Amino acid sequence: MFKKFSSDEVSSQNQVKASVQRKIRQSIADEYPGLEPVLDDLLPKKSPLIVVKCQNHLNLVVVNNVPLFFNIRDGPYMPTLRLLHQYPNIMKKLQVDRGAIKFVLSGANIMCPGLTSPGGALDDEVDAETPVAIMAEGKQHALAIGFTKMSAKDIKTINKGIGVDNMHYLNDGLWKMERLD
Amino acid sequence: MAEKPEPVKVLYCPTCSLPAEYCEFGSDFEKCKPWLIKNAPELYPDLLKEADEKEAERVSEQLHSVGISSIGADGSASSVQSGETSSSKQEEVKRLPGGKIKKKVRQEVVIEKVVRNKRKSITIIKGLELFGIKLSDASKKLGKKFATGASVVKGPTEKEQIDVQGDIAYDIVEFITETWPDVPETAIYFIEDGKKVPAA
Ligand SMILES: [Zn+2]
Repeated sequence: MFKKFSSDEVSSQNQVKASVQRKIRQSIADEYPGLEPVLDDLLPKKSPLIVVKCQNHLNLVVVNNVPLFFNIRDGPYMPTLRLLHQYPNIMKKLQVDRGAIKFVLSGANIMCPGLTSPGGALDDEVDAETPVAIMAEGKQHALAIGFTKMSAKDIKTINKGIGVDNMHYLNDGLWKMERLD
Repeated sequence: MAEKPEPVKVLYCPTCSLPAEYCEFGSDFEKCKPWLIKNAPELYPDLLKEADEKEAERVSEQLHSVGISSIGADGSASSVQSGETSSSKQEEVKRLPGGKIKKKVRQEVVIEKVVRNKRKSITIIKGLELFGIKLSDASKKLGKKFATGASVVKGPTEKEQIDVQGDIAYDIVEFITETWPDVPETAIYFIEDGKKVPAA
């Protein structure tokens, strides 16, 4: 999604109304309860919250010029990788084997066999249509944010095709947009 | 409400912007290498080997002092022992060419164990450079010897020190005196519970 993303794709930037700001905050708190204790630091009530609308129904949540979350249409908010790196335990994790790393980093979606091979790992409790952190064999930090197409159980039993959509990965356009000035 | 999680500090590579552990998958790994060798050698042990081979060992002849400190939550550094007699070491020191022992800056090595993130501890070694030891070389040797990550970092006072991952205080003294005979055991100290304790 962010393969060729750049600030050229921004169609509008708006400081949102307090009511909208509350709604965004609430849905982020619901999706990532682990983030609640630091939510006041991340999204200070007094700092303006900017929603940047981009092409393809993509929205970025930006505070102090730093993109923190993104979502598509009204879908769940997902953290940017830099934010996830700081709070790695807020999302469920799936792990790809080492062989899959270079494909994930070129933007490919995540195929089931890369998750079910000996170097991969799956949390059985992950449902379909859930934002997840994509980890990698032998690495400490996430390399992508994914959105599951199948539940972890199905990924294991079906073990074919795309298991997780690759939403955002290291070195994609959103990664490069460390700040939005 | 749950405890406030501390943000994790990730080591990002200034060259390719990725977390250092992903440099090998970046667009130009070669360019990242010099920085990685200095700042994240534990992630790429092979790079160190490469660098070691290229860099013929330079024996430094100047004399200075080294320090090792250990602020363990458990004070476990007290287990460090070293049976060698320090007197013979000191004589060796005096014989070194050009090695002036005049102590303007006190030559000592200070070893300190610091506990980070509850489980992880780091052993900090300060002062090796005062004995003319190149810290980058020393860091590599320590990493190899203890099969762990070791790196040269700027300490709080802007002086460089070596951080070794893990609690290696138990046999660091022996390793230092054997590897760098210029460093007498009597010049090595531990910091235990904030107090400086001689290793010898
Ligand atoms: Zn790099």
